Amino acid sequence: MKKRLSKEELAEIQKNFPPRIEYQEGKDPVLSIRHVDITFGSGRKVFKAVSDANFDIYKGETVSLVGESGSGKTTIGRAIVRINPCSAGAIYFKGNKISGKIKVDKEHVAKLDKIAKEKAEEASKAKEALKQAKASGKEAEIEKAAAECEKAINELVEARREAGIARHPNKEVVRKIQMIFQDPAASLNERATIEYIISEGLINFKMFKSEEERIQKVENIIKEVGLLPEHLTRYPHEFSGGQRQRVGIARSIVMEPEFIVADEPISALDVSIRAQVLNLLKKFQREKGLTYLFIAHDLSIVRYISDRIVVIHLGKIVEVAPTEELFAHPLHPYTKSLMSAIPIPDPILEKNKELFVYDKEAHSYGPEDNPSLVDIGNGHFVFGTEAEIEAYKKEREGR
Amino acid sequence: MSEIVRQPFDMAKMKAQQEDELFYFVEQNPEAAERITAPRYSYWASVFRIFFHKKSNIVALTILAIVLLMSFIYPFIAPYDPMGHLRDGIANLSPSEAINKLGFSMEWILGTGVWGNSIFYGIWTSARISLTLSLICAAINMSLGIIIGAVWGYNKAVDSVLNVIYNIIANVPYILLISVLVYVIGSGFGSFVFALTITGWLGIAYFMRTQVLIIRDREYNLASRCLGTPMLRIVTKNVLPYLTSVIVTLLASEIPSYISMEVYLTYLGIGMAADIPSLGHMIGDAQAAWILYPWAFWSPVAISSIITIILYVVGQNLADASDPRSHMK
Repeated sequence: MKKRLSKEELAEIQKNFPPRIEYQEGKDPVLSIRHVDITFGSGRKVFKAVSDANFDIYKGETVSLVGESGSGKTTIGRAIVRINPCSAGAIYFKGNKISGKIKVDKEHVAKLDKIAKEKAEEASKAKEALKQAKASGKEAEIEKAAAECEKAINELVEARREAGIARHPNKEVVRKIQMIFQDPAASLNERATIEYIISEGLINFKMFKSEEERIQKVENIIKEVGLLPEHLTRYPHEFSGGQRQRVGIARSIVMEPEFIVADEPISALDVSIRAQVLNLLKKFQREKGLTYLFIAHDLSIVRYISDRIVVIHLGKIVEVAPTEELFAHPLHPYTKSLMSAIPIPDPILEKNKELFVYDKEAHSYGPEDNPSLVDIGNGHFVFGTEAEIEAYKKEREGR
Repeated sequence: MSEIVRQPFDMAKMKAQQEDELFYFVEQNPEAAERITAPRYSYWASVFRIFFHKKSNIVALTILAIVLLMSFIYPFIAPYDPMGHLRDGIANLSPSEAINKLGFSMEWILGTGVWGNSIFYGIWTSARISLTLSLICAAINMSLGIIIGAVWGYNKAVDSVLNVIYNIIANVPYILLISVLVYVIGSGFGSFVFALTITGWLGIAYFMRTQVLIIRDREYNLASRCLGTPMLRIVTKNVLPYLTSVIVTLLASEIPSYISMEVYLTYLGIGMAADIPSLGHMIGDAQAAWILYPWAFWSPVAISSIITIILYVVGQNLADASDPRSHMK
C-alpha cells in the first residue's frame, strides 16, 4: 500500500497549500442535499441509483464528488440541475427547496408588485415633469427633468424585473445553477453557430437591453475563455475538443451563475489541454466567487482543485472530508482502495505498490445495524455502524 | 586524398548553414493558435454544392422543370376540352392518322382518345390536377405530421394519448377508409384532398415521433434544458435542424406517393369525380382498348411515371446532400 504521510509531511503540505476555504460548519451552505434518493424505472424493475445522500456545499468552495463508474456521481449532479427528479429527500439552494415543484412566495410577489406599481407612478410623474419642462423651454430644467425621468424608468425596469423573478422562482434557479458537461462534442448543438450557443441562455432570460449589449456580452465572454470573436459565426464541429469545452464553459458563465456542476469537464479532453481548462475554471471561481461541484474519478486532479471531497460508492456516500484530511487519513476501506489505486509516476514504486482491495462483505451489515454518515471531527464524515465509527475514530486518533 | 577527408566536414557545415536559413524562431502567439483557417461553413451552401456536383441531378432537375412548366402553364395556352370533339367523329385516331386528317398541330401529335379528345393537351391538364393534388396533400400532411410528431416525441403526456389514437386509426386499412370517405362526402377535388389528409398525417407524425425520441435525450438537448430553453425553441432549434435530411427523404417519397394514389384510386373508380380531368381517368378510359390504341394508354402512364420517378430521384439526392456527413468531403 502507498506510504502514509507522517504528521510532519502533512504539516509541510498544509503550509504550502493552505486550504482556500476554512471549514465552515455552522455557516449557511449554498447547496444542501438531504436524504436524497434517486430511482430509475418503475414497478418491479425499479433501480435505486442513489440512496440517502447527504452533504453540504459552502459558498466559494470546490467540492469534488469521486467514485467509480456507475456509482451515481453524474446522477447526483443531474439531480441538482433538476434533470433527474429525486424520489425522496430534498435539495436546498440557499435555503430554498429546489427539488420537485418550486413554490411561489405569494406575499413576496405581492410586495414586489406594489413596489413596481409605485415606481410606475413615479415614472409617469417624471415624464409629466419632463413634458412641462419642455413646454417652459428652460434648458437647465429640461436636462434635470430628463435625467430624473431616465432614473425613474430604470428603477421601474429593475422593480418589474425583481417582481418577475419572484413570480417565476423556477427560472431564477435554472439561471443560477449551471452545468458543464463531460463530452464537449455531444453537448454542443452541431447545427447552431457558436454565437447562438452562447446567447441561448441570454435569450431565454432576456439578459440584455439591446441587441448590441447581447453581442457585447457574447464577445466579452468568448475573449475571456481565450477564443476569438471571429469564432462566433463558426459551427462546433470546426473546433478542437479543448476549444469546444471552453465554448461550453462560456455558455454557462455568461449566465452569471452562482453554482456550477462540472460533470467530468476534462475527462474527454487531451491530457495536454486539461490544465488549460482547469485553470480557466479556477480563474472564473476567483473572479466571480463561484461554487463548484466537481464530478471526477481522477484523484490526482481532484487533489489539485478541490477543497473538500465526497466519496460515493454504489449510490451511498461513504466519506466526506477536506482534501488534505482525506488524503492523510482515508478511513473508510473503499476510500483506502481508491487512494491505493492512484498511479505513482515512478515505475519502481508503481511496480512494488501493494493495492488495497475493497471487500464489501467486510461490513456485513445486519438488519439491526443502522449505518449512517457520522461526523468524527475535523470536518470528517464516515459511513458506518456505531462499532465501525468507534474503530474509525480510534484509527484517526492513533496517528 | 586530403579532399576526401575534408568532404564530410564541409557537408556538415553546409547543412548547418542551410538549416539556419530554413528555420527561424517564432514567438508564441496564443491568438494565432486559436485561429481557424478553414473556409467558412454554411449548411445550405454545402447542401447545394453537393447536390449540383452530381451531373445527373442537373438533368433530372431540367426534366422536372420542363414537366412542371408544361403542366402549370401549357393548359392555359391550350385549354383542354375532353368532350369538345364528340361531333367531329375523330375518336381513337393514332398520331399519324390524326395529323393526316386534321393537319399538323401540337393538339394532335399524340392522337385522339375515346371522345376524339386531344391526348397531348389531356396529359398536361391531367398532370396539373394530379400534381396540384399531391403538392397540397404533401404540404398539409407533412406540416401537420412534423409539428404534431415533434410534440408527440417530446412530451410524455401527449405521447401516451397519441399512441392510443395511432393504434386505433393505423389498424383501419387506408384504402378502405379513403373509399368510404369518398362515397360519403363525394368525389370532388376538395373532398379527395380531405380524404387523403384526414389520417394521412398520422403515419408521418409517428415516424417523426420516433426520430425525435432518438435525439431528444442527447446531451446537447439536456444542456439547452439547463439553460432554460423553452420546449418550442428546443424543437425548432435543436431537434428539427438535425432531422432536415430525414424530412427531405420523407418528402421525396410522399409527393410521388400521392400521385400514384390518385392514379390508382381514380383508375379503380373511387377517386376523383369523372368531370375532373386526371391521369387516373385518362388511363382508366383507355384501358379497355389499350392494345388497339396504345398511344391513348401509354402517354398518361409515361407522364405519371416520369413525374414520380423524377420527383423521387431529385428528392433522394437532395436528402443525401442535406446530410451534413456528406459535406466533409
